[in-house]
Parts: sequence; C-alpha cells; structure tokens
Amino acid sequence: MIRLAFRNLFQNKIRLVISVGGVALALLLILSLDAIFTGVERRVTAYIEHSGADIWVSQADVRNMHMASSSLPDSVARKVKYVPGVASVTPILYLTNNVVAGDERNLAYIIGLPENAEFGGPWSISSGQSLPAQGETILNRNIAVNSGIALGDEVEILGDEFKVTGFSEGTASLVNSVAFISMDDFEEMRGSYDTVSFLLVKVSDGESPEVVAARIKTQVRDVTAQTRTDFATQERQVIKDMSTDLITIMNLIGFLIGLAVMALTVYTSTLSRRREYGMLKALGARNTDLYLTVLAQAILSVVLGFLFGLVITLLLTVVIPIFGSNLLLVVSRVSLLKVGSVSLVIAAVSAMLPIRQIAGLDPVMVFRGR
Amino acid sequence: MSLARRNLFQDKTRLGLSIFGVALAVMLILVLKGFLTGMNRQITSYIDHSPGSIILAQEDVVNLLGATSLLPEGIAQRAETIRGVDEAIPILSQFVILDLHDKKQPAYMIGYEPKQGGGPWELTAGREPNSKREIVFDRIFADRHDLNLGDQVEVMGKDFTIVGLSNGTTSWMTSYFFVRKDAAEDLLLASDATSFLLLTTSDGANLDDILRRLNDLSGVNALTKREMAANDLKLFAKVFSAPLKLMVGIAFLIGTMIVGLIIYTATVERQREYGVIKAIGAKNRFLYQIVLTQALFASIAGSMLGVLLANGAAQWIMTTRPQFLIVFDPVDSGQALLAGLGMALIASIFPTRVMARLAPAEVFRK
Repeated sequence: MIRLAFRNLFQNKIRLVISVGGVALALLLILSLDAIFTGVERRVTAYIEHSGADIWVSQADVRNMHMASSSLPDSVARKVKYVPGVASVTPILYLTNNVVAGDERNLAYIIGLPENAEFGGPWSISSGQSLPAQGETILNRNIAVNSGIALGDEVEILGDEFKVTGFSEGTASLVNSVAFISMDDFEEMRGSYDTVSFLLVKVSDGESPEVVAARIKTQVRDVTAQTRTDFATQERQVIKDMSTDLITIMNLIGFLIGLAVMALTVYTSTLSRRREYGMLKALGARNTDLYLTVLAQAILSVVLGFLFGLVITLLLTVVIPIFGSNLLLVVSRVSLLKVGSVSLVIAAVSAMLPIRQIAGLDPVMVFRGR
Repeated sequence: MSLARRNLFQDKTRLGLSIFGVALAVMLILVLKGFLTGMNRQITSYIDHSPGSIILAQEDVVNLLGATSLLPEGIAQRAETIRGVDEAIPILSQFVILDLHDKKQPAYMIGYEPKQGGGPWELTAGREPNSKREIVFDRIFADRHDLNLGDQVEVMGKDFTIVGLSNGTTSWMTSYFFVRKDAAEDLLLASDATSFLLLTTSDGANLDDILRRLNDLSGVNALTKREMAANDLKLFAKVFSAPLKLMVGIAFLIGTMIVGLIIYTATVERQREYGVIKAIGAKNRFLYQIVLTQALFASIAGSMLGVLLANGAAQWIMTTRPQFLIVFDPVDSGQALLAGLGMALIASIFPTRVMARLAPAEVFRK
C-alpha cells in the first residue's frame, strides 16, 4: 500500500510540485518567522556575547541593555575593582541614538569606550582601526556600505562630527547597529563626567563568574551584577516575551493554510484515483489498507513539503545577507521540532476527508463505469 | 462560460477547499497589512495626543521612541522667550524593561508635570499621579498582567502604586506608562533632566519662523509633531518592512499555488473533452478563456472570502489579544482583490500550456 501511495504521489509530477510547494510555503511561513525572531535574539545579544566580559554590572534592577538605561556613579568602578576575584574593570557609556550621514539616519547603540579599552570594543574589524580615538568612530560595515559611507568620511552622532576610522562586522541587527566612539567624546556630548552606564568585569583565572557576581552584589550597593550568560539570557527573554503572541498568531495562520493546501491536494488526488480504489475494494482490499494508502500519501507529501520549506528557509538565511539586509534568519532546533510536529498534524487531519470518501465508495461502481 | 462554470462546480468540495485556501492566503496578506497600519497608529499615539505643535529635542535627535534625548539645562526658559511660543512642557522619557510576572515587558516611561500636561490623555479609571511613587498604567497592559488600581509595580527597583489606568497607550511591542517627572529623574539618576519639550504656540503664529528661531538655540533640534511622528514611523517601517514583505510574498505564492493546483487538476481531468472541442474546430484562445475564467472565479471568490475572513480574524485577535490593533485601509482590500487577479493570471500559465499542447486527434486514439 505504501508503494501505491508512492505511485499515486509521483505519477503526476506537476500536481506533486504544486502540492509539495504549497505545503512547503505554508510551513515556510512558520519557519521563516521563527528564524527571523531567533536571528533578532542572536543579534541583540551579539554585543554582550562578544564583549569579552565575564560579568556585567549595571544600575540596581537594570537587567537589560536593549531598550534600557543604566547609570552608575564613577566610584562604583573603584569599589568593584576591589572585590576579590575581579581581575579588571572596563567602564562603558551607552545610549541609543542616530548615526547621521547626509540624509541617511541609522539607529545605533552608541558605545563610549575608554582609551585602550580591554573589553567592550568591536570584536571583528573588516578594515581600519579597532578602537576609536577622540573624534573618531567605528561603524558597522553593512550599515556604512548601505549608507554610502567610506573610511575617512564624516558622520554626525549626537550633533558632533566624527571621522569614520574603522568598520566592524556582526554588529548590526534588524533593529539597530553598534557605533563605537571614545568615552571622552561621549562625556563631552552628554555633559556628564561622573557616571558610566555599565562595568565590564573580567574575573581572575580560576574564579567562577557566578561566585564573583554574587560577591559584587553583596559588597557593592545599588548595583546589579550578572554573568555574561545571564545578561544575554535576560536580553533574549525580552525578544521572546515581546514576540510570543505574534508568533502564535502567525503559526496558527500558517497551520491553517498548510492544512487547506494539503487537504485540497490529498482530496483531489484521491478523487482522481476513485476508480482504482473501487477496483482495489472489489478485489478484496480492506478499508483500513486504503486509509493507510491515503495517510501515507499525505505524510509523504507533508514530509517532502517540510524538507522543501526547510531548504528554502536555509537558502533565505544565505541569500538575504548577500543583498546587504541586516535581517538575520536563524533556524533553531526548537523551531524544526515544532514545524515537524505541525506537519504531521496537517498530514493526519488532511487525510480525514478522502478517508471518508473511500469509506463510502461502492466497489460495484467500478463495474458500472462510474 | 457555462463550460468553465460546470468544470468548477462539478466537485463542490474541491472548489470549496480551493476558495478557502485562497481566502486564507488573502486573509494573511490583509491581516499583516492591517497589523502594520494599526502598529503605525499606536507608534504615534503619544505624539498625536500630546499638547503643543512643536517638539524640542536634543541636537540631532529626530525621533521620540528611537533615540535618547537630553536637553541642555535651562532650555525651557529660553524656548519660552521665543516669540510665538506660549508654553514649554517638559517631559523626561526613556524605554525601560519591566519584569512583570516573570515576563519582560518593554515600556516607554513618560515623566511629566501633571500641572503642565504631557501625561495620559484619557483615563478610564483613577487619577493622575500626585506623588513620586504613583504611576498611571495602560488599562490593557494592566489587565494582561492582572494589575489594578492600588496594586504595586516595581520600576527599576522602586515600588510604585497604580493610581490611574489610561486608554489608547499600548501596542503589541510596548506600552506607555506615566509617572511624575521628578520620579523619572530619580529612576534615571538624572536630576533636573529633560528629554523633550512639548511647545504650544500662540494662535496664528508662524510655525516656520518659530522653528527657525528655536533651531538657532544651541544643542537643540526643533521639529513639528508631524515631522517627529513621520520619523518614528520611518524608523519602525525600516525594522518591519523586510519581514513583512517576506511574509506577504509567501502568502501570495501560496494563493497562486492553490489556484494553480485546482485549475490544473480541473484541466487535466477534462483533457479529453477539451480535445473533442479542439477537434470540432475550437481555437486555443477559446480554451484559454475557459481556463482563465475558472482561475478568475476561484481567486476572486477566494479573495472576497479572504476580505471577510480577515475582518473576522482581526476582530478575534483584537478581542483575545487587545494589545494588537489591526486597522484595514479600503485600499488594502482593493489590493487584495488585485492580488487575487494576479494569482489567477499566474496560476493559468500551466493549464493553458497543457491546452496548447493538446492534439485534437488524441481524443480519437483513446
């Protein structure tokens, strides 16, 4: 019966392409949306993950960077430095603002770095300097290329002119990029010289970041100290919590569309084989065998559709960045598992209609020529 | 025409499934577009409802939501001396992440002076904040987290009591909440800081002249509210347009495939009949018309059902998840019907090729 399902499916190639393509596209809806949000999660945490710090210290009860503001008095850096297990402390200043080049405005995390900053700087430089001196900035290469900015050009940040002296990689997301300037410039522009936003802490060899973070929390007042992993998890959680409802709705629509396409395909294909099924019944085939054929056909189509949808999504993950978009698509295992399960449900439900059709089929009909 | 109709209606289940499939694809396109229109309306809700016609921001800051703005000290007094400016209303604003019931909720904090304005424009319950530890929450946002008047919420480590519930101040991404300006200064450790000034102007004053004079002040950028709203929309459009276009493109392809499948199947099934019609002298053009008529019917019926479904789905989504606003523009419905036509035309390509290759004599050989 499985062979019959195979033959039914592959006999008409155009119908196979259309049905597999339809299911693939419906599953692509779910897969690509998941991939977009996973990509955003990854890019949003890129700066934290690549900062080189073991611990992030922020204002009390500030547990995020994206869409958040943190302010710490300068004195906190000194106090943290004296906590046992702390090897070094790098303060950074941070806010979200525009990088302006002509008519182009690009939203960016503006990071103010101290001279010779150990941590918190760009982690991958495609050209130019790796740290900004006064009056200089390092921008994301993609953003710069799309805005027609070359090394040596001037851009405006917070109302001041900066010379672009370096291009970084992996520092742009769908939402914003990261622009690095010197801490002196940052302080001058904001007019505040006695506060920093975050402290990037490196622990001594052999020390556990969790233990040192706990020590900082108990020994320094009014701060939140989180390991890099915890901080990145908090950041990802913001995107997750924001997108849950949206993803649920889109998944439901994708599921319904996939179901309609699959039901239509299996129904149409069963209908066109009505006489053959009647013949099989007349020859003594049991209804269960015929049901299995239909179900196998539905499962085969959906599996092919799933694989095809996955290939398209993977292709998109490669093709979209080539066109200079900051839209990063990442296919996660959780998403694959979810879409795989959805596919099986689609196959099972879509087989119901033809099964009913077969159940009501009269074997004698075939001899009547109907 | 009657042949096309008979072909289509012979199997009503198949026709129903195909119309439903197209309808779902069209519904998806409409819901996505309606979602974007609604989001745009929510994005600019504060600017649309705040007092004044001009917003004064830090130099180079052109957005309310996208960027952090910090105005030079004493700028409110200087702005008020400019001819045509009636009042300068200060606000201190910043995105913050609230931890509510183990969920991370980005929210936009507006610190304002209740006597001057710039706070919530519609309260459904309660009052404006009188003290530093009082807060006005959006009613839908509060409801989603089971919060009510008198409840405590923690903002950046400080406890606030909810004293008012505002309306029209939420979206699926974020929500506005309002505290007194001095409370915001405490939270951000920035005493006397001001992010933006909302400027009201005297009747008949020339806005261009006022903007020019304001922009002569150092360290500031003066924009009309309309300009700032447009900048915020542009910023968010930049973020959402790529994923949205991808989704709409996929939905269009799905619709096309569904119509293609149904018309192709109907054509192949009737291949012999079409051969007979060809043998008795019918031209290919006539047969193409039959295919196109079927495709048009399935896709237009599907598109119309899609418009109805989209309205139903939007109502359902907004009832179960009130943070979503889905607004349909009549133009979008027109575009959905056009998309249906596009699906029909593309879907007819394969079946018409089958027709064109059909040898009239073949029918007599079988």
